[in-house]
Amino acid sequence: MDERTKTAAGIAAGLQGVKYDDRRLAEIAAEVEVLNDAVRKAAAAHLTFDDDPAAFASIMTKEARS
Amino acid sequence: MRNDDLALWELSEIADAIAEKRITSVEATEACLARIEIWQPRVNAFLRLFKEKALAQANAMDAELAAGKRRGPLHGVPMAHKDMYYRKGELSTGGSDIRRDWRAPVTATVLEKLDAAGVVELGFLNMAEFAAGPTGHNVHHGHCRNPWDQSRVTGGSSSGSGASVGARMVFGALGSDTGGSIRLPAAACGVVGMKATYGRVSRAGAVARSWSLDHVGPLTRTVRDNARMLAVLAGHDPNDSTTSEKPVPDYEALLDGGVAGMKIGLALPDNGLVPLDAQVGAAVQAAADTLGQLGARISSVTLPDFTALYRSAEVMVKCEAAAMHRPWMEKTPELYAKQVRTRMDAGFFIPATQYIDALRLRAHFVAEFLATAMASVDAVLLPAIPFPIPTIEETDTEEKGGPAVLKMVAGFTGLTRPFNTLGIPALSVPCGFDTNGAPIGLQLVGRPFDEATLYRIGHAYQGATNFHQKVPV
Repeated sequence: MDERTKTAAGIAAGLQGVKYDDRRLAEIAAEVEVLNDAVRKAAAAHLTFDDDPAAFASIMTKEARS
Repeated sequence: MRNDDLALWELSEIADAIAEKRITSVEATEACLARIEIWQPRVNAFLRLFKEKALAQANAMDAELAAGKRRGPLHGVPMAHKDMYYRKGELSTGGSDIRRDWRAPVTATVLEKLDAAGVVELGFLNMAEFAAGPTGHNVHHGHCRNPWDQSRVTGGSSSGSGASVGARMVFGALGSDTGGSIRLPAAACGVVGMKATYGRVSRAGAVARSWSLDHVGPLTRTVRDNARMLAVLAGHDPNDSTTSEKPVPDYEALLDGGVAGMKIGLALPDNGLVPLDAQVGAAVQAAADTLGQLGARISSVTLPDFTALYRSAEVMVKCEAAAMHRPWMEKTPELYAKQVRTRMDAGFFIPATQYIDALRLRAHFVAEFLATAMASVDAVLLPAIPFPIPTIEETDTEEKGGPAVLKMVAGFTGLTRPFNTLGIPALSVPCGFDTNGAPIGLQLVGRPFDEATLYRIGHAYQGATNFHQKVPV
C-alpha cells in the first residue's frame, strides 16, 4: 500500500467510519489526488484572502440580464 | 403540428384547445393514457401511473372550466414528473431501492405551482438512482430506453422525463439538472430541456443531488411549450433561500422577436475529455448556419479550459452527496448500485478546504466566462452531447465497467456540467439525427437570468426547422 492509499485508509477507518477494501482505497486515493490538484491549482491562480463563497450569488444578480 | 391523435399535439396547442373548449382535459388525458399503454412496455418511462386519479383530476379541471374558472396557461394539461418531487403522504423513490417504500412529508414547491396552474398528474417517472448518472441506467427499477431506438440510452438522470416527452406519452415533465440531467435526456430523446439560472426555480421538496449545483426545470416538445411551463415554475420561494426575488418575465410573450441582429457565438470545442464527433459538430454548425440565415450574427468563440470548472463541480457534488448519503453509506452501502456508490466515495476523502475553495472559485469562473466567451455575444451555441447516442450495453458501468466505458459515460457531461458550476441558463434543442437515427441536440447558453433570449433563439430555430416535429414510431 503506497502512502497515498495509507492516508485514505486512515481517513476511512479513523475519521469517516466507512469501509473499503485496499483496491478501492487505491482507486479513491488516485481520484482524490486529481480533484485536489485541479482545485488547488485554480485556487492558487484566482483566490485571495477576501474571496467569499457568497460572491457567486452576488455576481449572478449583478450580471443578470432580463 | 396537428394530428387526429391528441397526444401528438404540442403542450401549448392542447392547453389552448382546452381553454377554448374545443377539447376536454379528459380527452387529452385519455389520449396520453392510450399512448402510454403502447409506449410504456417499450421504454419503461413510468415508475407509477395514476390512471383513475388522473382521469378524476381531468374531470375536475373540465368542471372548473365549465364553471368559468381557468387556473392558468396549463389548465387541464396532463404531465408526469421525475420521481424525486415530493408529494405529501405519497411514495417518492428517487429512483432508488433505499426509498422504494418511503413517503414524502411535504409537497415540492414546483408541484404546488403546477397544481395551482391546473396540471393533471399522470404519474412519476423513471430516473437514475438518486439522480446520479448521465445515461438512464437503473438496476432497481429497470433501465429507461430511448424512444427512437430502444437499444440506446435516454440520457440521464431525468431519463423517464426525456423518454416520456419524446414518445408523446405526456406533454411536459419536470426534470432536474446537476451536471446535465435535463439537457442530456432532452438531447438524446429529441426534446427541449431548460436548465434555468441557479436560483430561478425552487428546489424545495426535490431530492437533492448537490445543493450547490441542482437545477429544477422543464422538458417539453417545443421551445414555446417550455417557455410556458418555466413561467409557471419560476420565482422566489421562501422555502428555498437560494431562489431569486427577481420578477419572472412572460417568456412566451417574448418568443417572437426573431434573431435578426442578435450575436451568437459558435463553439465547437474539443474539451479534452471526449473529442467532438464529426456528425454532431456538423449538425450544430448547420444550426448556426440556419440562425445566420435568419439574421443572427454568428461568430466563433473560444471557451475557457473547462477542466477546473469540471473538477470543481465534481468536488462539490461528491462532498455534498457523501454528506447527505452518509447514514446509508455507513450502514447499507450494498443497497446502492455500484456506479452510484462509487460516484460518492471520494466525497469522504476530499479535504473541506478543497470543497470550500471550489465554492469560492465559482464567482471567478462566472466573471471570467462572461468577460471572455460571452463578452460580445448574446448567447453561445454548442453541442449538448459531444457524440452520437450510445447503446445501453455500451455504457453499462454496472456489468461491464472498464476504462473505455467509464470514459464514454464521463464524456456525456463534458459540455454540460461546466454550466452547472457557472449557474447560467442553458437550453437544449433538437437539431438533427445521427446515422443511427438517434437525435442530436444543440445547447444555447446565456447570461444570468436571460432565459428569454435563449427561448427566443430556440423558438426562431424551431420556426425554420422541423426536427422537433419528428415523432418516434
